[in-house]
Amino acid sequence: MPARVIALGQAAAGDDGVAFAVLERLRARGVPPGVELLRAAEDFALVPLLETPATVVIVDAVLQNPPGRVLELTPEDLASAGHRAVSTHGVGICQAIELARTLTPAQSAASIRIVAVTISRPRRYVQRLSPAVAAAVPAAVERVLALVGG
Amino acid sequence: MTAKTRNIRVDYLARVEGEGALHVKIRGDKVTDVQLRIFEPPRFFEALLRGRAFTEAPDITARICGICPIAYQMSAVHAMEDALSVRVDGQLRALRRLLYCGEWIESHALHVYMLHAPDFLGYPDAIRMAKDHREAVQRGLQLKKAGNDVVTLLGGREIHPISVRVGGFYRVPTCAELRPLAERLQWARDAALETVRWVGGFSFPDFEYDYEFVALCHPDEYPFNEGRIRSSHGLDTTAREYDTHFIEHHVQHSNALHSTIRGGGAYCVGPLARYALNFERLSPLAKDAARAAGLAASCRNPFKSIIVRAVEMLWACDEALRIIGAYEPPQLACVEVQPRAAIGYACTEAPRGLLYHRYRLDADGTIVDAKIVPPTSQNQKMIEDDLTRFVAARLDLAHEQLTLQCEQAIRNYDPCISCATHFLTLRVDRQ
Repeated sequence: MPARVIALGQAAAGDDGVAFAVLERLRARGVPPGVELLRAAEDFALVPLLETPATVVIVDAVLQNPPGRVLELTPEDLASAGHRAVSTHGVGICQAIELARTLTPAQSAASIRIVAVTISRPRRYVQRLSPAVAAAVPAAVERVLALVGG
Repeated sequence: MTAKTRNIRVDYLARVEGEGALHVKIRGDKVTDVQLRIFEPPRFFEALLRGRAFTEAPDITARICGICPIAYQMSAVHAMEDALSVRVDGQLRALRRLLYCGEWIESHALHVYMLHAPDFLGYPDAIRMAKDHREAVQRGLQLKKAGNDVVTLLGGREIHPISVRVGGFYRVPTCAELRPLAERLQWARDAALETVRWVGGFSFPDFEYDYEFVALCHPDEYPFNEGRIRSSHGLDTTAREYDTHFIEHHVQHSNALHSTIRGGGAYCVGPLARYALNFERLSPLAKDAARAAGLAASCRNPFKSIIVRAVEMLWACDEALRIIGAYEPPQLACVEVQPRAAIGYACTEAPRGLLYHRYRLDADGTIVDAKIVPPTSQNQKMIEDDLTRFVAARLDLAHEQLTLQCEQAIRNYDPCISCATHFLTLRVDRQ
């Protein structure tokens, strides 16, 4: 089925780059036809990427203990359950989705799911994942594939 | 709370970059204290740079900010080139200006449309504004994307670019790669012109001040990377003399150092300063648009900075198209650079204003020490001074309206607290 997997994060902030590790694992493993694998450099860049008839799966890190759990959320879950996405500019995934749905209600993806990996707050410049978060990557890959028909 | 004692407290000010707070104390009919409290822990970039190779400075300092990494890269490479007596000229110089155009377009579009315009149109944020102003918000996002496209093509990626190096670039674009960018920039120039008209129609509080504006001034160009440091009150100096004329102070309520002019006080850097000191170097299109939007050659109402940013965005589109039109790929992507023991200085014009870097290198090019003064640090005291004057003249305003206007007055400066050290909370305490 047509689907768009979008990874968000910051590779230089350790575990905040977990979505990119998930994306690379998906790329290496191969995805079903019609599935795009994309990165969004920042949350505003997410807005035009949500303008698609395809199913959208956003992969990101969320601040929650313990680190290394894989969650499947709807945008509404993310907004209401107190999961906090890592954002430096006061605009997060929820706001980007709301903005896309406000601007182009008819064209925005009808189905948006978020596969989130829980992490602790990044504290320093490090370009690798912690063992607990790295161990969660295979499970996150399986969750994404289940959502895109893989 | 009594007739003479009022407490106003807002715990969260949105639509700024980074984390901080504002506390205004009012006793009776006097504003007794204004503190822009930046409590973001220091990030120690200057210490991080010590012991690193001079070639690493552009990539390390770009990490200071996700919105204006080019500014940090440009100040870093020019300071290193100053230390090592290297001159980057011709098309490489022009490409650096083109890269800076991209950053100004994306940064100004973000602030004008997503952060500042909701203040003038009475919305709490851009999402609520988008319900009634869909076309404008889409235009803002597309303008931001046009700027990001420039940075992506020249810098290798849109955030924290990787192709800038001391002496030039790791890779330069082909003419064929620039062609589609020119098409997008032609659209962006029209959109920027529409932006100037749009924001020129907003209502602005009646508030002006004789600011000491400080900006780079170049004889032929609206400034990016070169020029003398001049002020509206007569200062005329160079980056090498920056530390002689500007003093940094630690204040207890901020983790970002304040700056003042030696023997003077607060000063203002950023779009208003650049515009006032360089109006004649704007393109005819940008000048005409500014006049049509009601601006004179200098603007001393900080609330109208939204118009000036739109004018600068228009100029940046114009300048980018001019550079692309004259582009011939250089033979080499960079000039050779040999390390030596030296000190290098540079100021460039970040979207938010003058950005100073100084590096001392040892003989093999290792950084011995570094000093970085971001524009938001320099504007902190002026923001506090603005608030003192602004609140004093509006004590009769209703609590909510005054609080909203205080937040708006802070956003006039598009503060990047992440750069200065992250998020703003506003508290107005009336006693």
